[in-house]
Amino acid sequence: MSDEPGDATATAAADAETEVTGGLADRWASFRDREISTVLLTVVGVAVFPFLFNNYLNGYTQLATLVLIYGIFAVGFDILLGYTGLLSFGHAVFFGGAAYAAGIFSASVSSSPLLVLFAGTAFAVLMAWVVGFLSLRRGGIYFAILTLTFGQMSFYLAASPLAFLTNGENGFTSVDIGSLLGVIDIHGGVPFPLSMLVDNMLYVFVAVMTVLSVAMANRILHSPYGTVFRAIRENERRAEFVGLDVWRYKLMAFIISAAFAGIAGSLFAIEGNYVPLESLYWTESGRVVIMTVLGGVGSLFGPLFGAGLYLYIENIVSGFETLGPFWHLILGIVFVVAVVLFPNGIWGGIDYLRDMVVGGEDE
Amino acid sequence: MTLLADILTILLNGLQQGAIYVLLAVGLSIILGTLKFVNFAHGALYLVGAYLGLFITGQVPLNNGQLAEWGIQSYGIGLGFIAALIIVPIVVFVVGLLMERFVAQAFYDRPDTDQILVTFGLAIIVQELLRALLGGNSQPFPQPSWASGPIALPVVGNFPRWRLGVIAITAVLVLGVYGLVEYTDFGLIVQAGTLDGEMVRLLGIKLSRPYLVVFGIGAALAGVAGVVGGPLANVNPNIGTEQLVPAFLTVVIGGVGKIEGAVVAGLMLGTLQVLLIQTGYAAWSQVGIYALAALVLLVRPQGLLGSEVDVS
Repeated sequence: MSDEPGDATATAAADAETEVTGGLADRWASFRDREISTVLLTVVGVAVFPFLFNNYLNGYTQLATLVLIYGIFAVGFDILLGYTGLLSFGHAVFFGGAAYAAGIFSASVSSSPLLVLFAGTAFAVLMAWVVGFLSLRRGGIYFAILTLTFGQMSFYLAASPLAFLTNGENGFTSVDIGSLLGVIDIHGGVPFPLSMLVDNMLYVFVAVMTVLSVAMANRILHSPYGTVFRAIRENERRAEFVGLDVWRYKLMAFIISAAFAGIAGSLFAIEGNYVPLESLYWTESGRVVIMTVLGGVGSLFGPLFGAGLYLYIENIVSGFETLGPFWHLILGIVFVVAVVLFPNGIWGGIDYLRDMVVGGEDE
Repeated sequence: MTLLADILTILLNGLQQGAIYVLLAVGLSIILGTLKFVNFAHGALYLVGAYLGLFITGQVPLNNGQLAEWGIQSYGIGLGFIAALIIVPIVVFVVGLLMERFVAQAFYDRPDTDQILVTFGLAIIVQELLRALLGGNSQPFPQPSWASGPIALPVVGNFPRWRLGVIAITAVLVLGVYGLVEYTDFGLIVQAGTLDGEMVRLLGIKLSRPYLVVFGIGAALAGVAGVVGGPLANVNPNIGTEQLVPAFLTVVIGGVGKIEGAVVAGLMLGTLQVLLIQTGYAAWSQVGIYALAALVLLVRPQGLLGSEVDVS
C-alpha cells in the first residue's frame, strides 16, 4: 500500500467520468473508487451478512449486531491509527463514556433511539476534545500513555465516586429505549421482504448506522483532510514545513475517531440495554486495537473484518470442544503474528494478493 | 494515636504501597530510557514472577483450568520464600535476555507504536496461557512465616512485619541498581547510550551486550516485584494488566530513564493512595493517582526529574 498525497487527486479524477481505455481491470478500478460503489458494497455486505453468518458459520443475529457495532468502533479507531499514525490506548473512554451517556440520557431525558444515539455521540466528542487537547501535547509513547491515563481515570471515576450516576460495579441497568420515530419497535421483528435476510429490527437499525458510518469515514479519508492525516503519518515534520497546522489536524483526527467510538458505544447501550463498567477499562481499548490491527490498519473495510474475526473467536470458537478454553490465547498469538509479519493485517494481505494479480494501485 | 503516629503510619504504608510501583517502574524506566523500547509486557513479567514465586514457595491446589482437567492436583516445589527471592529474579532475568534478543531487537527500528503492539500482544499471550492452564481464580500467596505478624515500632506502634520487609527489599534492590548505573563502567556506558547511542557506537563501544543486560535487570526487578507484591494481595492472571498502568505512570511522572525519578514518583503515588484511603476518601484513591499523574504531566511533560531532552 503506497500512500502518496496524490491519492486524493487520483480519486477525484476517478470520481469524474473516467475514460475507460483499458480492459476489465481498469473498469473495475474506476468503479471501486466511486463513493457510491463503496456505499453499495457496504449495503450489500450488511444485508447478506447475518444470513450467511447464521446459516454457515454458527453465528446468531445478536452477535452479528455486535460485530457491526465494534466494526464502527474499529473503523473510527483506524482513522486515528491507520491514517494518522496515532496509537491511543484510551479509546474505551469514548466507547464506554458514550454508552453511559446514552444509557443515562435514555433513562432520564428521552428514550428515542435517535436522540439517545445523538446524546452519546455528542458526549464522546466533548470528552475527546478535552482528552485530545491534553494528550496530544507529546508524541509517540507519551500519547499512548496519556490516553491510557485518562482512560483509567474515567474507569475509576465511574467505578466509585460517580456510582450514583453509573451504578458503580454493577453496570448501568436502567437503559430505557423506546420506539424508533415513535412507530417502530426497535426490538421487534421486520416486515416480509427484509425478513428473509434479517430477523430483527435492531440489526436493521445498527446496519443503517454502519452504512452511514462507513460512508462518512470513506468521505473523510478521500477528502483533502484525509490526505493531510496520511501526510502526518508519513512524516510529521515535513507536513509541518509545508505549512500545515499539524497539531490541529491531529486533534481533529482524534475527535472524529472518538465520534465513531461514540456512535458505537451508544449503539452498544441500545443493543444490550445495559452498560457494563468494564466497557471503560483499558482492556476494552486493547480490544479495539487488536481488532483494527488484525483486520488491517489503513484500509476502510479491514477494521470491520477484524471486529468480526475477534468476536467470532471470542463467542463461537470459545464454544469448541478442544480449542474453547484457549480462545483468548489463540487471539493473542494471531495478533502477535499479524504485528510481526503482516503490518497491514488480513485485509491488507488480501489487497496485496489482489494487487499482485491485477497490478492495481491502492485505495 | 497521636498525630505524629498517624502521619508516620501513612508514610510507612505509602512507602510499602509505592514500593511495588517503584520496583516495576525502575525496570520499565531503564528499558525505556536506554533502549528506547516501550515494553507493554512488563506487567506480564510481574505476573510470571508472582506465579513462579507461588510455584517455588509452596503447594498450590489446582481446582480449575486445563492442568486440573488433565488430572494434576497441585503445583509447587515448596522451597520456601528466600529461595523464591533468589531463583525468580534469575529466571526472569533470563526471560528478559530472551525478550531483548528475540523481540526487542527486531523492533528497535520499527515505530514505537509497533513496539507497543507486539509487547501488548505478548502480555496477552502470557496472561491467557496462565489462565488457560492454571485457571482464572485468585490464589492466596502466603507470607513467609518469619515475616508474618506485627512488629512493635517506636511511635507508630504495631506495624505488619511483612510490609516492612517489602520496603527493605525494595530499598536494597533499587539502591543496588542505582549503584550499578551510577558508579560502574557498565553504568557509564548505559547512561551515555541513553543520551546518544550513535556517539557511543562511534567511540567503538559495542552497545548490544549492555542493552541485553539492561533488559535483563529490568525484567528481573519486575519478577522480584511479583514475589514481593504477591503476599500483599491474591495472585490471579489479571494482576499484570492491573500493575502495568500505574508502573508506566510512575515512569513518566518521574522522568524516563531516571531511577531516582521513579523512586520519587512511586512514593508520591503510593502515599497519595494511602492518604486518600486513610482520610475516608477511599472511593477516590485510584482516581487520585491518575489525576496527580495527569497534573504532573501537564505541568512538566518531561516528568519531575526528567531532562529537557525529548526521548519520544
